[in-house]
Amino acid sequence: MKMKASPDELRFPSQLSDQIDALCKRAYQSLVVCHNGKHGAGAGVIWGDEGLVVTNYHVIRRSTPRISLLDGREQKAEVIARARQLDLALLKIEMPADQAAVSAADSRQLRIGQFVLALGHPWGQIGSLSAGIISSLGSIKLGWRGRKVPVIRTDARLAPGNSGGPLLDAGGRVIGINSMIMGGDLGVAIPSHVVADFIRQEIGQQSPALEF
Amino acid sequence: MSPNENEPVLSMLSNAMADAVEKAAAGTVLVNARRRFPASGVAFAPGLVLTASHVVEKDEDIPVVFPDGDQVKGVLAGRDPSSDLAVIRIESELPALVESSPGAARVGQLVLALGRPTEEGIQASLGVVSAVRGPVQTRRGGLLEGHIRTDAIPYPGFSGGPLVDASGRMLGLNTSGLTRGASLAIPVKIALQIAESLVKHGSVRRGYLGVRSQPVEIPTSQQAGLGRQQASGLLLVGVESDSPAAEAGLMVGDILTGFAGEPVSDPDDLIARLAGEVVDKKVRLEVLRAGQQQELTVTIGERK
Repeated sequence: MKMKASPDELRFPSQLSDQIDALCKRAYQSLVVCHNGKHGAGAGVIWGDEGLVVTNYHVIRRSTPRISLLDGREQKAEVIARARQLDLALLKIEMPADQAAVSAADSRQLRIGQFVLALGHPWGQIGSLSAGIISSLGSIKLGWRGRKVPVIRTDARLAPGNSGGPLLDAGGRVIGINSMIMGGDLGVAIPSHVVADFIRQEIGQQSPALEF
Repeated sequence: MSPNENEPVLSMLSNAMADAVEKAAAGTVLVNARRRFPASGVAFAPGLVLTASHVVEKDEDIPVVFPDGDQVKGVLAGRDPSSDLAVIRIESELPALVESSPGAARVGQLVLALGRPTEEGIQASLGVVSAVRGPVQTRRGGLLEGHIRTDAIPYPGFSGGPLVDASGRMLGLNTSGLTRGASLAIPVKIALQIAESLVKHGSVRRGYLGVRSQPVEIPTSQQAGLGRQQASGLLLVGVESDSPAAEAGLMVGDILTGFAGEPVSDPDDLIARLAGEVVDKKVRLEVLRAGQQQELTVTIGERK
């Protein structure tokens, strides 16, 4: 009753693993840790070659966070903008030579069911990876006076410490910033096009590194 | 799907999963028939929606919302609380039907759970088949002939939605209403058989044979006598006394290979046959006894 798998079929799962491994290593170069000096740490993404770092507003709130790289090296950070109603914040660090900005994808072209990876520091575990799919697309109100913001929902496991980290597509491009968890098992990310609009508005130029 | 030089396999997988969701989403509807959160349903035949019985708290004026946002009012065609299935009849040809997977679910198989509990769009989660199991006692005192467990997250309102394979074909129907605390899927073969009965009669009568069995391979030398391609049958390891099986002369050691002219190669096949229109009917059974094919006639009883 069992059919023999062809050699190609047998290679398929290991090719998948190899690709995820490669994507993950590449994405690590743009992942940072944001310490707000109070309650734990969140994540951040180096966005563009100028050393811009995107994270969640709720990770830094009113503080000026300390930024460190995955190997522990600290970077001086300056807060450029905070947008509570988008739960986004924009920081600037001096771009370390051995780090690389991530490229972003157009999050207006997403499909439910497509593969995603989430990187962050859940429960303080630096640089943890989780995988899943886009579960649904929609919009939610952030804060009691906030306007509706488009969101990506994912079944990839997220935990406190994932906030501010990247949600990546199968090509390793950022499609969103992981921002919250609903009901314990539904991850919510702010889409990359919302991030790009935010950056454009705050620094008045074309958002860097958007591969649209 | 075969690996291709030009496209990275991870992108291929990603696209294939999104295609699968899109395909099955076209036949996955919103069923708004309970006080709390709406649930989901599957268009499985023209004008017919299969859903979970526990999410349907009324019999008439059941709002059913299609993928394109159109809404119709359906009526309950029938329900089977024992398997937590219900069929809703709608006065409309749905845009698409969800295709069934030809094969049974396999442990480790990639699956997607789908639901449409809101009008915002389809929702999905990814997982693998964790277990494929035989009969399970359900919360309402019933017996479900088989079930599929998966680690795909069952989000609120996924009950009544399809569990599909990587090609978007339905392997089962998701429900959280059968066992406390756990979500499982009713295998599509069993679900459609029950649905057929619900459409015809509004309820389900289950056939009773009175055997315990396990699947076995049929020796190649004996396969020729069956008159069809069939590599396995059901070895009878117990025959209850005074049961329809005993009265028909079935014996421990017989290998059951056919039921009313249809092959029986695994327990699901037999269970599916017994869930059909068979109570009180005379049915021809094919068995291998000591390597020889024999036919016996049994009058199927009703399982209480």
